[in-house]
Amino acid sequence: MKKYISLFFLSSLFSAEFDYNASIISNFGDNYDFYSYAENQLNLNLFYKDIEAWVQYEYSNPPEIGFTMNDIRKFRIEYSQDDYTVKLGDIYEIWGRGLVLNQFDDQSTNFDNGIRGLFLGYEKGPLTLNHISGNAEIWNFGPDLRTPYYNNSHNVIANHIQYDWASYSLGVSQLLSKEVHQKVFGSDAYVNHSLKGIHGSWTLNNADIYLEYVDKISTEKLNLLYDGPHDSLKTGHGFYGNMNFYFGNFGLSTEYKRMAFDVGHSDFTADDYGNRIAFQAMPTLGREQNSTLLGRVAHQFNFNDERGVQISLNGTLLNVNIVSQYAHLSRNEEWQSLTLFNWINSSIEGYLPSSDPSALPYWENYHEINGYHLNDKLYFKLGRGENKDILKTLRYFEGEGISVNETWIHTDSTEWQDDWVYLDSSLVGVDTFVYKVESKMWQVSKAITYPLELSYSFNNGYNLAINFEYQEQTKQNISKGNSKLYSTSDSSWTLINPDNPDSFFVQKDNLFSYGTKQIDTQINRLVSLTIGNASKWSITFTHDQTNAFSGPTTIDPFYNPLEAFIYGDLKYFTGKRNKIDPPGFIQNRWVSMEVAYNLTSSQRISILYGSLQGGLYCSNGVCRQIAPFNDGIKLSYSAIF
Amino acid sequence: MYDTIVYNSPKLIGHIMKKYTALILLFLTVSVFASEIEKKQIIPDLKVKLMDGQKVTIHELLKDGPLLIDFWATWCKPCKKVMKHLNQYHLDYANKGFKVLMINQDSPRSMGKVKTFIRSKKFDFLIGLDPNQKLAKKLNGLIMPTLILVAQDGTIQWRHQGYMPGEEKEIEYQIRLLLGLESESLENNKL
Repeated sequence: MKKYISLFFLSSLFSAEFDYNASIISNFGDNYDFYSYAENQLNLNLFYKDIEAWVQYEYSNPPEIGFTMNDIRKFRIEYSQDDYTVKLGDIYEIWGRGLVLNQFDDQSTNFDNGIRGLFLGYEKGPLTLNHISGNAEIWNFGPDLRTPYYNNSHNVIANHIQYDWASYSLGVSQLLSKEVHQKVFGSDAYVNHSLKGIHGSWTLNNADIYLEYVDKISTEKLNLLYDGPHDSLKTGHGFYGNMNFYFGNFGLSTEYKRMAFDVGHSDFTADDYGNRIAFQAMPTLGREQNSTLLGRVAHQFNFNDERGVQISLNGTLLNVNIVSQYAHLSRNEEWQSLTLFNWINSSIEGYLPSSDPSALPYWENYHEINGYHLNDKLYFKLGRGENKDILKTLRYFEGEGISVNETWIHTDSTEWQDDWVYLDSSLVGVDTFVYKVESKMWQVSKAITYPLELSYSFNNGYNLAINFEYQEQTKQNISKGNSKLYSTSDSSWTLINPDNPDSFFVQKDNLFSYGTKQIDTQINRLVSLTIGNASKWSITFTHDQTNAFSGPTTIDPFYNPLEAFIYGDLKYFTGKRNKIDPPGFIQNRWVSMEVAYNLTSSQRISILYGSLQGGLYCSNGVCRQIAPFNDGIKLSYSAIF
Repeated sequence: MYDTIVYNSPKLIGHIMKKYTALILLFLTVSVFASEIEKKQIIPDLKVKLMDGQKVTIHELLKDGPLLIDFWATWCKPCKKVMKHLNQYHLDYANKGFKVLMINQDSPRSMGKVKTFIRSKKFDFLIGLDPNQKLAKKLNGLIMPTLILVAQDGTIQWRHQGYMPGEEKEIEYQIRLLLGLESESLENNKL
């Protein structure tokens, strides 16, 4: 099949009847950690009358993340005439705001929920009808940060109808999927998912509103030999609302979400299935950050069990742009640990998110001013972002304990050879003492970040830009209450001071350290300096520094000339340094230099040399940990033609 | 290992050359012919949904004059920097039938903020919505910002990826060149 596709595309290229465009993206990288990759992608689009075709060829051995490939990765042929559209191949669609279907192929996180199959579309005036049927192979990461491990196969049928009036819009959608779900333990699960959604919008002069709701039912085939109906597994729903208001130079956006496809007091794993499926990529209600340090403290959104609100203001005052944003999210349930392993949940009252640590709340706010001055030559940006994230709860109980004291009297007994032989006793009184028990422990991360940017354009085409980001972060285990342990032998929480149940304590343990030393506050500083000549080239030096790690302290065993140059270490260049036993001041710092050159206006090449810290990277609500890149070279080339 | 990778960069380059000869040849071919290919291409007549709810096609937008297409997102820093200049060109050359079409690629995650961002800035250019990058894939606008300048007859005159402060002069020069307001002889001095 792929051979025919290749032949079709190659022959089309030589036909004068075809219009086409293409792009190439190539990335190579290698460093001392054997973190090498070579990935190349060629995208080719062909247009001939009512036919459009797309093919993506990938030669990656290996890619930065994902599977090694030397083949046609994606293809699609589309035919449109009058009001009809037919597509065959890799389908990517979005309906509403994605509560039922939002498909994308994000190579930066290796997330791809495209369906290979058939799309039928009809669009006449205000009416739109869509049908999709096909199969999808969706991969998720397991223990390896670079190669996907868990596979979910879906066989999908989906339909969507939308009607657009002048200022109103209404749509309904349905998606049915038969999934073969790979689990952590045990054999694959066979799950059927049924989703029904509705969305609508209303636009006014100074306001607009958007609402979307989806209802989901999943069933599981427990007995593979029996061809009867599936057993019911999980039910859930999702709601998203967005209201925008416009006044003068300001716009206010308010959003609300409630995703309730499952419940959990900790992270979900591949063994939690039957809940939200990967086609559902809905709004997350967090700011999509463009600051490196803010990106590293991003919240890991939970698509199965999360509710929240977000308010953001955009405006202009005295030629200064103002951005202000606030979000508060939490799980849908509050949790109590009756024992260390037995957790029970209770629904949060009302519709708003909870602030109780057991509901894993998250808060963020971001404020920024930016603008141009000096005849638009100087651009400035100053921001302040604050995040507070309850990452997990290790125990969380608040209730009562009862201490029982019994009083006995001894009567009618017999003494023989100094021993009491018969001892009659009777219970004459029971004293109970009820006391408060609290045993809580949760992990919290707090960060304050200040991104600053200044750039100046000179008349001769040169420009200079400085980015500086400063961040203070704390990460602590907070213990609170009058008990730390649960005793399984007498089924009770053991008080730290049984003689005084009112001995309450609060303890904060810092989770940042450097070597063996505990550090209260992690301080991160990122500085980058860019010098460029517009449309031609640019050179960027980046210096990233921290003073503490939340995991093991990383050790950079090599000393490269760029590091020596940045720190002005003459000993390095005079041969007085041992390059494999570097001085202490290069540790916990990552230095890199990138040179970018525009070969033409549509071709760009860049070379990076040095080290990058890595860390959490999120895109479209999908996050992954990027491994550090140490003392290596990255080469990138991109072209559109 | 360190020595082989970091200090023997020529060895790494040699390794890449050996392993990817075919691809490197392809890139070189592209480099040589890219400028020639560009001028022959006709932009496809793709459907665009505008932020105000209207549905248009690219060829319909070309009826009055040339069009500059730019792909952007609210989280893209250089995209927001170039917008101010593009809005100015949209206004300055409107009498020549010139338009700027800004195609937004925000995912549903930040789509709610697109309207408030645009309306608070009071931008006049046209805003297209492309939340799952259908148009970006068909026009190779996945790297943001990507600018595509299209003549009234539909031929693609110029493409550009990325934005550095100062490049707005080059963008304006290309627009003026297309509108016949700039001398062609200066083109050789530009990228």
